[in-house]
Amino acid sequence: MAVVKLDTIVKRYGHAGPVVVENVDLTIADGEFMVLLGPSGCGKSTTLRMIAGLETISSGTLSIDGRVVNDVPAKDRDIAMVFQSYALYPHMSVADNLAFGLRRRAIPATEVQRRVGEVAAILGLAPLLARKPSALSGGQRQRVALGRAMVREPQVFLFDEPLSNLDAALRVNTRSEIIKQHHRLGSTMIYVTHDQVARLSAAERRARSGALDAPLGRWSDGTLLAYDGRDVTLGVRAEDMVIDPAVLGAAPYGSVTGRTIAVEPLGAETLLLLELEGGGEITARLPRHVSAAPEQIVTLHFRPEAVYLFDSTTGDAVSTQESDAAVVRAAVQRRTH
Amino acid sequence: MASSSAARGGPRSLPRLFTRGTLALVLGVYTIYQLGPFLWLATMSLRTTAEISAAPYAWPKPMHFEQFRTAWVDSDFATYFWNSALVVVSAVAVVTLIGAAAAHALARYRFRGNRIIYGILFSSIIFPPQITLISLYQILVDYNLYNSLFGLSLVYISLQLPLTVYLLEGFFARIPQDLFDAAKMDGYGDLEIFWRIVLPVGMPAIATTLILNFIQLWNEFLFAVVLITDPDKRTLPIGIRAFMGDHFQDIGMIATGVMISVIPVIIVYVFFSEKLIRGMTAGAIK
Repeated sequence: MAVVKLDTIVKRYGHAGPVVVENVDLTIADGEFMVLLGPSGCGKSTTLRMIAGLETISSGTLSIDGRVVNDVPAKDRDIAMVFQSYALYPHMSVADNLAFGLRRRAIPATEVQRRVGEVAAILGLAPLLARKPSALSGGQRQRVALGRAMVREPQVFLFDEPLSNLDAALRVNTRSEIIKQHHRLGSTMIYVTHDQVARLSAAERRARSGALDAPLGRWSDGTLLAYDGRDVTLGVRAEDMVIDPAVLGAAPYGSVTGRTIAVEPLGAETLLLLELEGGGEITARLPRHVSAAPEQIVTLHFRPEAVYLFDSTTGDAVSTQESDAAVVRAAVQRRTH
Repeated sequence: MASSSAARGGPRSLPRLFTRGTLALVLGVYTIYQLGPFLWLATMSLRTTAEISAAPYAWPKPMHFEQFRTAWVDSDFATYFWNSALVVVSAVAVVTLIGAAAAHALARYRFRGNRIIYGILFSSIIFPPQITLISLYQILVDYNLYNSLFGLSLVYISLQLPLTVYLLEGFFARIPQDLFDAAKMDGYGDLEIFWRIVLPVGMPAIATTLILNFIQLWNEFLFAVVLITDPDKRTLPIGIRAFMGDHFQDIGMIATGVMISVIPVIIVYVFFSEKLIRGMTAGAIK
């Protein structure tokens, strides 16, 4: 259980080298599942590695439960990490892979055995305990990697693109396994990905390296409106948009129109990527029966209360006062109709 | 595929048979070529010098197994053998340990001068070791290490270390960084990671260098003959050389001595050969 706080964290290579992570301010609450999303090379993995203690922090403070850990080595931070490549020890059996971190911590052998057995049972690894990683399938390796983190019962879990080496079906499985374990353990979890689906389905809250950022359905054709003396951009969650306005009932609604760039059928649902008339892109998460041809013009509808505001210059979320909600709602309708 | 085409008995089976036959022939000739001298040596080791002079290629009859006892006890091969074992095993152990640690450091840690050190080590492989002989002789004399097994062992370490570091560095550099990061997250320090991750994962490569170093040093003659003078400090190659006089050569005893010296090499090779092959066809880590 832990609160992870990043305060103006900067990562720079060398004294005058390139800045790869700039002024990240982020507080991850105890037991929260935080997803860091961004394109490759945006610094999200570096941020994760700084939290883990695998990269030094050039400036700023990182604290876990109020204790500054900038100079605490990785091994003393009580954090477990699941790697994209799984990073299983190839010369050890599954059981030894799971127990490796515990043995270091002077935990009695019977306790090690109990915990390994427990985690193996939860993840369905019990029949595989004697095998070497080379004799496992990709999905099994991923479960061992997850188990290796779980067995330590750490304060914080870090996931670095843990699903990108799995096929689509396994990805869905493992993702739900991670979410399930989050509910079961209630630990603080930080998850790095460039995969929008992972972000949408797993996140309680999302962040971009830099600041808390808009959800996926943010669009910005310049400044849309002013709120509270700031220029703000509107954002709508992908899952809050529909094609048929009747679904939203009698409530007044907003809408956007755009040209279809990509249609991604995912089985249970379909992702629609639109280029908006006024510029910008938006992704909608729609039921699976929805289909659209590329280049087709599509109008999406949403309730005004599904709209979030973001400061156009800093990208920070702007919290709206209850009393101002009506004003925002009116502005949204004016803008989008 | 082979069985299916054979079962069909189609037109492809004859060329296939021909290919296989040719392969068997080539391998057979090659085996005889390699094994022939060894078998000849083995027969000679069981014959006396007089018998060998009379008929060099004859089958040993009777077999003089007592030649081995004579060589081991009366001709001091026991001493030479244990001298060799002491010098070579200790040198190989140190070379493997230091070489692996150095290779790990060069492959894994970024520090100023890393590539310069690597370059210097690599350049020392290019030059023939003989050019260092005179200066090494002088250094050993200066430090009272001349004519000592300890001194010879140190020289052997210095001879084999560069190539060992070079070979292992190439292998260690391909161990994924994530493995080290995972071990760090699991609570292990640098030294423990070396022991528990690098050494076991790098075992195929380490076994390769171990065999190469062992065989090279076990057979090493030049430095031993220059740096050792006492008869009771001779290693096996010099011990065997002692049976070669200017006018008389005790061929039988030489053959027996060579057989004694070959046996450990064979044992090491049989024991490590599987790992040697894995190391040579490396890329084993995934």
